[in-house]
Amino acid sequence: MLLELQGIQKRFGGVTALADGNLRVEAGQVHLLLGENGAGKSTLMKIVAGMYQRDAGRMLWRGQQVHLQSPAEAAALGVAMVHQESLLAPHLSVAENIFLGREERLPLGVVRRGRMVAAARRLIEEHHFPLQAEWRVDKLSPAGKQLVEICRAIQHGSSLLIFDEPTSSLSDAETQEVFRIVRALRERNMGVIYITHRLEELRAVGDRVTIFRDGRSVHTGALTAISTDEIIQHMVGREVSALYHRTPLPPGEELLRVEGLARAGALEDISFTLRAGEIVGLGGLVGAGRTALCRALFGIDPVDRGRVLVAGRPVAIRGPQEAVKAGIALVTEDRQRTGVAVRLPMVANTVIANLPAVSAGGVVRAAEEIRVTARFMDRLRIRASSPRQLVGRLSGGNQQKVVIAKWLFRQARVFLFDEPTRGIDVGAKGEVFELMDSLARSGAALLMVSSELSELSQVADRILVMRQGRLSGELPRGASQADILRLATLSQAHSAEEPRA
Amino acid sequence: MIQRLLPFFSLIFLFLFLSVASPHFLTNTNLSSVVRQTAVINIMALGMTMIIVAGGIDLSVGSVLALGGLMGAMALEKGVPIPLGVLCGVGVGLACGLTNGFLITRLRIEPFIVTLGMMGIVRGVTLIISNGLPVHRIPSGFSFLGEGNVLGVPFVLWILVGCALLVHFLLEHTRLGRYAYAIGSNPEAARYAGIPVRFHTAAVYAIGGALTGLAGMIEASRLMTGQPTAGQGYELQAIAAVVIGGGSLHGGEGSVVGTLMGAFIMGLLSNGSDLLGVSPYLQQAMIGAVIILAVTVDEFRKRKVG
Repeated sequence: MLLELQGIQKRFGGVTALADGNLRVEAGQVHLLLGENGAGKSTLMKIVAGMYQRDAGRMLWRGQQVHLQSPAEAAALGVAMVHQESLLAPHLSVAENIFLGREERLPLGVVRRGRMVAAARRLIEEHHFPLQAEWRVDKLSPAGKQLVEICRAIQHGSSLLIFDEPTSSLSDAETQEVFRIVRALRERNMGVIYITHRLEELRAVGDRVTIFRDGRSVHTGALTAISTDEIIQHMVGREVSALYHRTPLPPGEELLRVEGLARAGALEDISFTLRAGEIVGLGGLVGAGRTALCRALFGIDPVDRGRVLVAGRPVAIRGPQEAVKAGIALVTEDRQRTGVAVRLPMVANTVIANLPAVSAGGVVRAAEEIRVTARFMDRLRIRASSPRQLVGRLSGGNQQKVVIAKWLFRQARVFLFDEPTRGIDVGAKGEVFELMDSLARSGAALLMVSSELSELSQVADRILVMRQGRLSGELPRGASQADILRLATLSQAHSAEEPRA
Repeated sequence: MIQRLLPFFSLIFLFLFLSVASPHFLTNTNLSSVVRQTAVINIMALGMTMIIVAGGIDLSVGSVLALGGLMGAMALEKGVPIPLGVLCGVGVGLACGLTNGFLITRLRIEPFIVTLGMMGIVRGVTLIISNGLPVHRIPSGFSFLGEGNVLGVPFVLWILVGCALLVHFLLEHTRLGRYAYAIGSNPEAARYAGIPVRFHTAAVYAIGGALTGLAGMIEASRLMTGQPTAGQGYELQAIAAVVIGGGSLHGGEGSVVGTLMGAFIMGLLSNGSDLLGVSPYLQQAMIGAVIILAVTVDEFRKRKVG
């Protein structure tokens, strides 16, 4: 037994990320780790890799109890992690990255570059990797960067390799290449832990599977002994009790119509409509194109094809200016970067998108903008000491409300919410939903991107699901979380003829 | 709050200290000379305030000052009426500012790099046009701009007050000013709010250039020559004035009142050192230390705010 985890617990502040994490990994085995976002998989892996310290539980490495204090200690044991987001030095070469921090050195810190490059080249040839030791890392594709991380792990003599969603940003051909490498690593008797959200790729690589839900490992066993439907049931569990209940409205006039929207490498043939009074959910895995769709509709990324009509009128959206003018608003998960200016007062943030409405001949009427801001403070129940308070001093939920106030004052009617509840605590989430509901009631149309299945199934009137840049289906109000997950993770053909093992 | 007022108290303290320490300080002649000396930097610093508020920087203002002064002086030499000659200098500054703004917003090059390049280009152009020689034959009436008095107060002070009121009004009360703060504070959020970011950024550089052109004409009037080598190092003094006055090179912060105080603190330090016989070498070091001190105090204030 290479690695054994028993009853691992981890809390962050008041939030329990892991309540009972159990996992046993053997050498020469590919162990899949499955679960929804926030189920605790990544937290567990960060504990294994020494990035977090566990609060309780036992971790055994080759039968010995260990307490890892840092990633360096984990690396010394032989644990290596291939990250979703590359942690390489982009301006250095492949060889330099493989040996980063472990360069062979002569006195005075001179690096033996020739030997380093030669060793890197041998390693690359031995594994038939499509790489060159001299290439600069920032020129590599995401798959190439992962290969460099894998080379690092092999070079450092790692015996356990953790892949955190390695294929989420890869093309099909690259995905096949990663599978080939994973199988080759297994041949070399290394242990592999493989986290993925793509259920149809499981059987191409996995031997055993452990499924996480709400911070607990709920199932573990051989992959051949479980069907994909059973996996989905384990991931979702019982449908949780309603966190929010919304009475739908009869949909009104059509406010947004999207026809055949496409953007190379990101979006393919996207068509849908939004009506006044509707909250439409948009589900899918990270990287499925949900954020890309919002960005394209708001004019941040250009599109190659397709038409957008707002309230029946075709609009050419070349940039955010045109989108805003057409009445489209974007509320992103990254408020601090794209939503508010934290060092400016609330009043400046509230009126910024519609200054002409509070100014005469280019001169801003100070009393008017304060009056407007105070009105929104009242209406949206923004907790601030005064309209002049700096936005940076407000809580995350209240900052979110300032962003919404800005768009309401701009008289936006189509709202794109990209993960509106991320980073907001549970109490504030309910408030954000109420706000969205009142926006819908005031005649706006809302598109809500969410990675939380329970949010989609409880808040949305209809649910669109994206998969690999396409709309893979539409589900009615109250669709089960398992249905959403199925559309997000499986191609139609695959889900139709699911083999029962 | 007390720390926010620090530049103000420092200025008052410096003023009172010099009044007591030197009998020559509180005289009409000396104070006029302080005003005349600081006016040029002050007017440039007003434009720099807008640019820094909008998250930019302009290293080319020293060179632009020389080109504006030179072209204005050349126009006067050709017999153009004095007000028109001054306008010519302002126009040249405006054109340089527009060029900066165009390069920054259209080619999307860092303002630091664009204006560093323009600093060299404009200086080179100035030297080529003038062949390295100053322009002398200027009508004597032109000296009124830099050296004249109106109602017993230096004319440049009236100009400075006018420019300060104008820039203050622009920054605090107009759409342009709001956009400048928004762009400087969070350029991405400004773009997402549908603000025409490029237009307003370029406008801010253009206004900064125009003010620099005016400063160049005042400098030319005080020297009564169009000097192709004028204004070297002024860009750093203008930036220093903004920063001492609470402006942040990260953008989104800065004010006209702060900048005026910053420029006068530097002016008084230099004047006081002269009066008290402090070596000019030490003066430079003192001003450098004041810049670091001012920014350090400001940083501590902001960190406390969180």
